[in-house]
Amino acid sequence: MSDLTRRGFVTSSAAATAGMTALGAALLTEHARAETQGAELEADHGTPGSDPVVAYIRDPGSGHISVMVGDREVKVHDRKLAARIARAAH
Amino acid sequence: MSSHREAPAISKDPVADNTDTYAFVSPDDASTVTIISNYLPLEAPFGGPNFFEFGDDVLYEIHIDNDADGEPDITYQFQFETQVLNPNTFLYNTGAIDSIASTNWNRKQFYTVTRVTNAGSQVLGSQLPCPPCNIGPASTPGYAALASQAVQSIAGGHTVFAGQRLEGFYVDLGAIFDLLDLRPLQSLHIAAMAAAPGVNATNGFGVHSIALQVPKTELTRDGSNPTNPMSPTSVIGVWAAASRRRVNVRELAFGQGVEVGPWVQVSRLGNPLFNEVVVPMGEKDRWNSLPAAADGEFLQYVQHPELGRLLPVLYPGQFPNLAALSAPRADLVAVLLTGLPSGIVAGFQNYTGSTYADQLRLNMAIPPSSSPNPLGLVYGDLAGFPNGRRVFDDVVSIELRAFAGATYPLVDSHYQPDGAAGVLSDGLTDSSTTYLAQFPYLGTPQSGYQTTPLAAA
Repeated sequence: MSDLTRRGFVTSSAAATAGMTALGAALLTEHARAETQGAELEADHGTPGSDPVVAYIRDPGSGHISVMVGDREVKVHDRKLAARIARAAH
Repeated sequence: MSSHREAPAISKDPVADNTDTYAFVSPDDASTVTIISNYLPLEAPFGGPNFFEFGDDVLYEIHIDNDADGEPDITYQFQFETQVLNPNTFLYNTGAIDSIASTNWNRKQFYTVTRVTNAGSQVLGSQLPCPPCNIGPASTPGYAALASQAVQSIAGGHTVFAGQRLEGFYVDLGAIFDLLDLRPLQSLHIAAMAAAPGVNATNGFGVHSIALQVPKTELTRDGSNPTNPMSPTSVIGVWAAASRRRVNVRELAFGQGVEVGPWVQVSRLGNPLFNEVVVPMGEKDRWNSLPAAADGEFLQYVQHPELGRLLPVLYPGQFPNLAALSAPRADLVAVLLTGLPSGIVAGFQNYTGSTYADQLRLNMAIPPSSSPNPLGLVYGDLAGFPNGRRVFDDVVSIELRAFAGATYPLVDSHYQPDGAAGVLSDGLTDSSTTYLAQFPYLGTPQSGYQTTPLAAA
């Protein structure tokens, strides 16, 4: 994930708390391992759309992030990103 | 109640609260089955200016299991959309609504019906109109005829209706939730009082019904017309569910929110009273979120029901045989979780295999009864509950008696039910409310103008 993208994602989640939701238009991309409907896959590198995106981190220490857009849920495992979002909430 | 406000979480979300589910061979068209799922418990008919409606943000589903594995093979999905003609008035209607297309009706609701199977999904109908709520003679004159315009024929020979109906479920809530102090029997209760007739607590309230009439051949696993009651092909399992998006973020400025993510089930219902009186408080919300096929987790609560332990305590000396009954309640497991195998009731079965699942199990080869008994199957009417469920079936009395041990001889002929088990009731009959002789069978809702609120004691 580029710094710019990461920054945008973290900024959009500034109001979130641990065990939180974060609303923004950014998507998680590089370094993120994603899981959709139980199948592991690499996250899409496509251009972020305009639909709202919500990220939910139930346990920041686990590194598991649920990213929801439209009617989908993408499961991402990225300890650094989860930790950054959690730190942004404090 | 049957499943009205039956769990802590869903009691705070009435739009998604599945209150009753019915499934029966249509009495006026035995080539079809009618399935009804109700939502929005205890609608006060005068509840304006924003009268009751389905949730645009809720996915309503009716599931059919036709191969006895506890999993849905056919799902009918219903999704609603509200349209406001004039947002600059507070009025629900700006004049008399004389047709469901009336421009005087300011807040209309439409819906789409989709049939989902393993082969894919098919939209059976879209932009289908709901009727308005019954407001009063100035706003909704000729309401019965007005509402009947919302009965729609859609693809595949289906007929559908979605909108307000008169509550068909009758129950003495005040007595049942006052420590089961059933009015006709309260002289025998631990808090004994003088006998009094039962009170239909749901009398006059409305619900929102999704009613679907389906050709039987659309429901069987092989497309056949079921004629042999002893054939597994004749039996379907039916249950309903409601789901919401996983996330709802409330926007600070716009008065609306953002909903994203997959659907998450928040309510489900097969048999009346299952989550209500079988599942304990700490498990009710979780039960609502699980698929029916997961109900093996709750087997212990059916085998050893709390209600069976309470009755001997609340009615001292009236249930000695029930008090001594410690064996797992195989009768209740059959009625609620698997269906009745052949050999228990002559000429009948609605067994769906060993998967425990809360479903209404309907043997579609059993024709409608010419003289229905609201006490259903156990009282000789094979077309009644727990062979599916008709709108007028006295499910409260049937289940009270079953939990009291009246059905245990079905699995143990040596067991002698207590005398009280055979008369247990909340003192009401199907005459406590009114029904229609034709689809959608549930009665015309009362209007707000004509409804008198409950008097203060």
